[in-house]
Amino acid sequence: MAFNQALRLTSILLAAVSFIGLTLGSGLPAWLAVLTGGGLIVVLLRQFTVESLRHLASHVSFSSAGWNLLVIVGFLGFWVDMFWVSGELLPAGIHFLMILMVIKLFNLKLRRDYLHLYAISLVAILASGSLTTDLWYLPIFLLYLVAGVWTLMLFQITKGSEDADALLIADQSRQPELLGRVTPQLFWLANGLALVCFGMTLAIFFTIPRISAGFYQKGFGKNIRTSGFSETVNLGAIGPIKRDPSIVMRVEVPRRTLHAMDRFYVRGVSFDQYDGKSWTNRLGYRRNLSEESPGMFIIRGHQSPAPSRLGDTIQQNILLEPLDTSVLFAAPFAEKISGKFPVVQSDFAGSVYLPFPSASRIEYSVVSRSHPVLPADLGSEPTHYPESFTRHFLQIPYISGRIGRLAEDITRAQTSPYEKAHAIQTFLIHNYRYSLDAPLAGVDRPLEEFLFLRKTGYCEHYATAMAIMLRTVGIPARLVTGFLATEWNEYGSYYVVRQQDAHAWIEVYLPHSGWVMMDPTPPSGEPVGDVYPAWRALERILDNVKLQWSRFFVQYSAVDQLAVVRELKAGGQSVGHKALDSMATLFSPILRLLGGIPDYVFSSTLRPQGSSWGLIVVACIILLALSVKRILARAFPDKKRTHEDHRIVDLYKQMIKRLADKGIAKTATTTPLEFVHIARIRWSEANLAVASITELYCRARFGGIHLTEEELGVAEDRLRCLTMLGKS
Amino acid sequence: MPLQMPFFVRRWFLHRSTKVTSEGLQFLIFTLAIGIAAINTGNNLFYLLLAMMLSLILISGIVAEYSLRRLVLHRHLPDLIVVNQPVTATLVVKNRKSSLPSFSLTIFDVSDGRDLARGVTVHELPSGASRLVSYPFLATRRGRLRLDGVRVATEFPFGLFMKKAFYHVEGSVVVCPEIIPLDERLLQGLMSTGQEQNLHRRGHGSDLYNLRLYHAGDDSRSIHWPTTARTSQLTVRETEAEEQRRATIRLLTIAPVSHDVVFEQAVSLSASLVQHLAHQGYVIQLIVGADCSTFGHGDAHLHELLRMLALCQRSDPSGEFIARKKFEPDRREDEGGTEIVVQSWCGPEDHQPMRLTLLVDGQPVDGALHGL
Repeated sequence: MAFNQALRLTSILLAAVSFIGLTLGSGLPAWLAVLTGGGLIVVLLRQFTVESLRHLASHVSFSSAGWNLLVIVGFLGFWVDMFWVSGELLPAGIHFLMILMVIKLFNLKLRRDYLHLYAISLVAILASGSLTTDLWYLPIFLLYLVAGVWTLMLFQITKGSEDADALLIADQSRQPELLGRVTPQLFWLANGLALVCFGMTLAIFFTIPRISAGFYQKGFGKNIRTSGFSETVNLGAIGPIKRDPSIVMRVEVPRRTLHAMDRFYVRGVSFDQYDGKSWTNRLGYRRNLSEESPGMFIIRGHQSPAPSRLGDTIQQNILLEPLDTSVLFAAPFAEKISGKFPVVQSDFAGSVYLPFPSASRIEYSVVSRSHPVLPADLGSEPTHYPESFTRHFLQIPYISGRIGRLAEDITRAQTSPYEKAHAIQTFLIHNYRYSLDAPLAGVDRPLEEFLFLRKTGYCEHYATAMAIMLRTVGIPARLVTGFLATEWNEYGSYYVVRQQDAHAWIEVYLPHSGWVMMDPTPPSGEPVGDVYPAWRALERILDNVKLQWSRFFVQYSAVDQLAVVRELKAGGQSVGHKALDSMATLFSPILRLLGGIPDYVFSSTLRPQGSSWGLIVVACIILLALSVKRILARAFPDKKRTHEDHRIVDLYKQMIKRLADKGIAKTATTTPLEFVHIARIRWSEANLAVASITELYCRARFGGIHLTEEELGVAEDRLRCLTMLGKS
Repeated sequence: MPLQMPFFVRRWFLHRSTKVTSEGLQFLIFTLAIGIAAINTGNNLFYLLLAMMLSLILISGIVAEYSLRRLVLHRHLPDLIVVNQPVTATLVVKNRKSSLPSFSLTIFDVSDGRDLARGVTVHELPSGASRLVSYPFLATRRGRLRLDGVRVATEFPFGLFMKKAFYHVEGSVVVCPEIIPLDERLLQGLMSTGQEQNLHRRGHGSDLYNLRLYHAGDDSRSIHWPTTARTSQLTVRETEAEEQRRATIRLLTIAPVSHDVVFEQAVSLSASLVQHLAHQGYVIQLIVGADCSTFGHGDAHLHELLRMLALCQRSDPSGEFIARKKFEPDRREDEGGTEIVVQSWCGPEDHQPMRLTLLVDGQPVDGALHGL
């Protein structure tokens, strides 16, 4: 393809990529997307020499005045759009930008027009960056980079003939040979440059200092609407969101294998008061948590007179999507929380909050401690609770004889609080069925409806039923809402938590163990999904990529940079160890193989040194591979150069032979220049040819200068002349 | 003691220079704008775009440097060129890089530290390949023209910066004075005032040179029959050669600074006379100041004389000359032929810088200035 055609094509592609970016970022109304997309398709078709279309275009083309008029109309439209339609500068500006892009696409005549198009596309890709943080921006950005490198390079190459550029660019069918064509060498060079450019972009992106003055900052998109985490929650509020697959958070659990948790509970808010239809958190008074170190907050007390400290700690890193609640979720029971927060608050029930809902994705780490049931609670000692405690967690809305009798019946045989709680849990799990189709919202007494009539419901009903039944028999309990994560992403080692994982369970207070979590909800029994496992695996891989994109690109900040610097500062040693570990992992099969060789060859005393030997051998192989090119280059010098040298040496030898035929023999002690002098005296007509060939011979042979094809051609001509002279 | 930069740094700055192009300036402004937007919003995707643009700038510098590296240049100029007469100069550019091609190389001649654009561009030079480019070369002053080297510039790959590299390709060429068409009146003056001098020797011609006895091998057509009949001995007629004529051109180099322009005109006139007379078959001797050539003819002799004229320098008159009222050129011993003296200054009495004097055998000829 000729340079000017390639330039036109890449310019259109550059514009197309930025247009796609804006469209995916929902920055364009449908009519404008169709108009711009249509314009791009038409221009591309014209580019690929569709003769009929070109003929048609020549008939319907506007004059320059017509295009100018369109620009003016577009500009007026921009003001109308800004004040009356969109009402904002950014959308109106983007709409106007697309109009300009369409106009420029149909007017690519001069180099100036190309520059305008590049500027428009750059602003468009910038605008799409302001509209989104999704993963799709990455491929769009990569495409833009490749198209940009190609375009700039071709624009520069076609700059050579300034006078002819307008003609060449305007009419690509004419004189395509004037500037040249895209050669395979140029093709690979351009793509290689794009690759290098991407690598350097990443390096600069991660190292460029993050300074955020914040004059104009905004969040991205709308917060995800969720329910079940406000001060008051109606029974059944979680039901509607149980069918929403939107991801609300991802939870990394570094030591998951130790816990082997298939079900991971993420605690949100707890409720203590039930009025028969809704739960309320009356312990919701929030206080600021003290900061142990910058960004690390300690959560003290869970309204528990006997906190347990014997459970395992669970470390989690949570990436929370922007939600419409300020609750910070964590595995029960959170003890420390760290993140980029100025303030973190907590209520008396141990729930953790931000002062206000975050408008963007946030990441934080939590250390939680599980509360196991202690053996002391398995006995049947009488229990006394403080009045303030019983007021909150033994409250029941009304005296229901049926519920009381049911609870008494279930727990009659049990003596300890834990056994009673366990009996109720078992009863609910085995005698009731899980169903999301449980319209209990309009019922007067939904709990009794659930327990005695319908006997189907979902987590809220089960948790409420168990909490009330426990309170009826004098055991403190509270309802907790949160998420139950079951979807493990093995590629990224984290739980994916979706809206549909919203869950409710209870916490039972045991005298010695403190608050203990119990879940009376039976398994749903609904199919997980009818999609293929491969597809689900692909989905998880994609989700992992999204997470990494978000973590390393969207969320990357000055704090991360400082952490990297600190890591490097803390030691070359740890970095070195990590690098060594990575290398060892990479080469472990080879190392094992090579490590076995000394074992096999030598005695067993050398066994521990096997890996070291292997490492040394691998290092030697790598070094050899790296230096082999240089060694080869020294052993076999440039073939082309040798070939050229040989040619001129052959020509010189032939010249000597011709002169010898004429009786002018060159002795071994005569230098080439002396021989020229002798030849001039004895055969003056041949002087020009002899001097010329000798000069080229000396330059190549002793001067180390490469001879060009032209110079070799001259030498051959001179030899031919010499031969003719000899014959005559 | 002034701070001395290391040698390689000085060499680098001498041999490399970078200039921002107009497109590059726009690009830098956009980069700055995106940088400000990134700082304002804290949006990492803006930082990503900013990083892309910065990497393009960096790659521009690196690739341009590689494009300009390891080039070999050879310039070929004619041995002798004439003022205001364009000649073709050729330049061989070879890319000695093992794998990387060079693109968009613009070539400048460097003379006296100035870049002289030649309109020569090599669009693509694959690794190991060479290109022969030629361009018109026009010298505007006589003398020895020294070319320091060649400056190769490229805007590759993105046209944001123009990077230049200097290559030492020293060359010098002798620029002859301008050859002007001689005025008809001047030529007539030469013919009439100057005595055409035939050198008396035998050769082809019509005039009788000698009669002698016939020798074996003589052309029978040259037998002079009347004398043969009168003397009864075969006698042949020898003719006098007509084409061999002699001329000595003297250019007086003594002239004050005020007569510099006239001196250059005198040099130009001398060169034109030399050229004209050489084409007329004259055997010419040139005396420029104290330098004196031999009599000779042929292209090689002509080039030698033109080179003398190209390199001659005006010398200021000394006190002795100024003391004389009138400056009389020294007459040399008569070696035969016409003596033409070109004089740009006639002595202290000469206050007319535009007056050029031409003496043919001591007689002034009008019209010397005509056409200059």
